Amino acid sequence: MHPLFQNRNSLFAYFFAWVPLGAMLGVVVSAAAHLNWRATAAIVAPVTLLMAFVCLSPWYVCRALPLKGTPTWKLLSHHWVAATLASAFVPSIVPLFLLTFASRIQGSPISLEPTMRVLASMCFLFYLLSIALHYVLQTLESTRQAEVLSREAELKALKAQVNPHFLFNSLNSISALTTIDPAKAREMCIRLSDFLRNSLRLGERMSIPFGEELALASTYLDVEQVRFGKRLRVTQSFDPACDACEVPPLLVQPLVENAIKHGIASLAEGGEIYLTAQLSDGRMLFSVENPFDPDAPAQRKSGFGLLNVRNRLRARYGTAARLDIDPGPGKYRVSLTVPFTKEPVK
Amino acid sequence: MSIRAIIADDEELARHLLREYLAQQPDIELVGECENGFATVKAVADLKPDLLFLDVQMPKLDGFEVLELLDHNLAVVFVTAYDQYATKAFDAAAVDYLLKPFDLARFRTALDRVRQRVTSPPATVAAAELRNAALPPGRFAERIVIKDGARVHILPVGQIDYVEAQDDYLAFHSAGKTFLKQQTISSLEESLDPKQFVRVHRSFIVNLERITKIEAYTKDARLAILSGGAKIPVSRGGYLKLKEVMSV
Repeated sequence: MHPLFQNRNSLFAYFFAWVPLGAMLGVVVSAAAHLNWRATAAIVAPVTLLMAFVCLSPWYVCRALPLKGTPTWKLLSHHWVAATLASAFVPSIVPLFLLTFASRIQGSPISLEPTMRVLASMCFLFYLLSIALHYVLQTLESTRQAEVLSREAELKALKAQVNPHFLFNSLNSISALTTIDPAKAREMCIRLSDFLRNSLRLGERMSIPFGEELALASTYLDVEQVRFGKRLRVTQSFDPACDACEVPPLLVQPLVENAIKHGIASLAEGGEIYLTAQLSDGRMLFSVENPFDPDAPAQRKSGFGLLNVRNRLRARYGTAARLDIDPGPGKYRVSLTVPFTKEPVK
Repeated sequence: MSIRAIIADDEELARHLLREYLAQQPDIELVGECENGFATVKAVADLKPDLLFLDVQMPKLDGFEVLELLDHNLAVVFVTAYDQYATKAFDAAAVDYLLKPFDLARFRTALDRVRQRVTSPPATVAAAELRNAALPPGRFAERIVIKDGARVHILPVGQIDYVEAQDDYLAFHSAGKTFLKQQTISSLEESLDPKQFVRVHRSFIVNLERITKIEAYTKDARLAILSGGAKIPVSRGGYLKLKEVMSV
């Protein structure tokens, strides 16, 4: 069902838009076949009405042949055939009964041939215009949907942000530290607050400099360092030029969190997380590498975090960004490639 | 008589906190601390404690897997940060559970329950079934833990060819090897992904990926031939289930 039929107002507006088109058609037909205005109206009005209905049909064809992913020859040939059929069908009602009726109004016989020629070519033109309009509408609709999706993905990311395990375990560490080392307990309270505050603040923005993203991940690692002690070792190698690259917020933190949750936490003796960021060919590459226990159940729940990052990359960059996962032997590596830009997205 | 206790938690600070709370309890003696699941199973077998503080998230084996492998009857107090699905299982399996962070008063309540429980031990619970209760809806077991004397086998479910019920035991067949585990076939059936494992017979569960063909045997019974050559009886009802799963 065409979406126009779902709303009486928009259907009315559509037919109203055909009034000037019908008038235009009338002018051309009356000039070509030398008709008076009443005879012209008798022919053109029913033809225009029929054409208005026929011009809704490209909706189905356009949906079956999306602009992206359909070969050009297929697009051209299918629409050409459809337009030809439409321009043959619509004027065919003229010789059936309209012509005699119009001749009576005109008071003299009307020659069929010029009328049909004009009507057929105008119909062909209108049909092609309708195809173009349907594609425009289709693109607008999919853009709108993509925006809704990216918004939803971002909201989900924020919800997933404060992982309850992380929060409660950190609070438990603080609880233990209060008697062992009160100064350290206070320090951890402050680090944890910094992390929570910053992730809320950054999450509200559409775009942040990569440097801030790294600072957030580093606060997160500070907190985890207290929990895991010697089991967690972090090595970082960052090109300072990456700091200015604008990225969607909270891309890095979920990756680092996965590295801890599925990597370090699964290993009794812990291990080293290796973070790198560098520029190459106008793109920024960021990677997280962590060891893991191959016997542990395969990366439980990590699917959601990675999927979320991937969705947000697609919403922002389309195919220009990539998220690669390399579950090598004993080492799990996730790398992120985004176009380098200093322009924040509004 | 003092209560002998073991702490199992992979985080040093979390162990420290329990140690500190326990130090104020004269009737409880701390006999061991473990940082991972394997060490916990071993320590319980060696030290035979009366009480175990068990963290759920641990390397090597998680708390539920540890519970499955304990054959020594003891009081278990689960200690966990957050688990929305597991609280019901904790209620059934453990004397009590503590949610991190917890205060001394809450800890004392747990110990009061332990003291009652140690003097009058209830019937043992089927730990393997509790695991199922703790899994979120739509998620299934990814591996099976099996104790073989002092050794622990971890069998990823993808490596199981088929499982056969033998009295109180299940025989897990995997690449020519057989592992025995005390569990009921119904509880195993529940914990496995029904898209991969089908109970084709009262005493058999088979991994669909291993089936090469199904032959008629008698009027109602059929035989499933597995890629390793094993022949598994398929009942009428089992055949209907197979057809349903394979056509989807």
